[in-house]
Amino acid sequence: MKTVPDLLRHADPLREDSAHLDDARDRIRRTVIAAASVAPLRTTPRPPRRVVLSTVAAMAVVAVLALFVASGGQQTLQAAVRFEARLAELRPVPGLVVAQVATSRDVIYLHPEAVVTNDDVARSSVLQDGPDDFGVLVEFLPAGEQRLRQATTAHLGRLLAILIDGEVVIAPVIRSAIGDSAVISGAYTRAEAERIVAGIGRH
Amino acid sequence: MAVDEQPADRVAALFDAHHQRLYRLARRLTSSADDALDLVQETFLRTAGAPSSVPIGADREEAWLVRVLINLRRDQWRKAAVQKRHDEHTSPHQPQSQPDHGSAVIAKATVWCALDVLSPRRRAVLVMRELEGLAIPTIASQLGISAITVRWHLSRGRRDLTRILTSPHGATNEDRA
Repeated sequence: MKTVPDLLRHADPLREDSAHLDDARDRIRRTVIAAASVAPLRTTPRPPRRVVLSTVAAMAVVAVLALFVASGGQQTLQAAVRFEARLAELRPVPGLVVAQVATSRDVIYLHPEAVVTNDDVARSSVLQDGPDDFGVLVEFLPAGEQRLRQATTAHLGRLLAILIDGEVVIAPVIRSAIGDSAVISGAYTRAEAERIVAGIGRH
Repeated sequence: MAVDEQPADRVAALFDAHHQRLYRLARRLTSSADDALDLVQETFLRTAGAPSSVPIGADREEAWLVRVLINLRRDQWRKAAVQKRHDEHTSPHQPQSQPDHGSAVIAKATVWCALDVLSPRRRAVLVMRELEGLAIPTIASQLGISAITVRWHLSRGRRDLTRILTSPHGATNEDRA
């Protein structure tokens, strides 16, 4: 019988499939960078459920989930929900609209124009965020990506609000410019994440 | 991390510097390339949640990421073990065909099945020493354990692997402890 090192070297899987990383590298890179782009606003105690959203679109999806849960969870979500992402402020400014974040009850002040909407989402898919945690990866169309990048670049350290049917569902602090994709990194089950993707409407 | 460096930039730099090393380790700790990619992604997603907690310096970054990856793998391994015990308890026993251990060349799949029985930390020590050729102090530093513990895992890992591969019954409960 060969020695243990010989056996391990003979059976080393990297001898056969080292190219796998090259195929998936860009996708994984985009995903983790998107997850680092936005931090949730926590000026009040955290809600019971961990919700760590990484981008605008991703957080809008949370609202879709909330609507799903509120509806009893029995119906299939459709993309008829109106989704918007708007810049927002912590302090009142003339011309801005006061609003309350549904999940945290924080009071914020919304800019009047939406940066991206449902129409700017190119694709969404379920993402495994941990052994039993699932999230959603959202990718934007070029026009939406450009608007979002410009808007968030000029708004670093301030808020980005996600609205569903006019209600603010979450408003994270922008930590760095948001690019072509977004991640919702919450403790969801696979079924919940799949319902969220269905709610966005493009996948 | 520079004072004015953005979290996304920090995570991008960490990914670019360490993703290949992490994939190599992950691939040798898991059963498939897809599982390895998932493990690498999970490791960097944990990093994305708190990039400022990663220490500065290439060696310290690598050690931090390796520990996160192995801890994630350990969580997966424990859950899989619980599920397996549950399945064994609730399903009728299905006799499994045993590989031909008398063969001069033991099949790769047999070796990798045997590795699956080892705990992720012990398996990592074996992989880092026997396949990556790292020195004992380096392994100890990356895993955050003492050199004595590394040697102990290495010795036990070699012994466990030999016993599993030469036993006509394969893994035992002791191997899963």
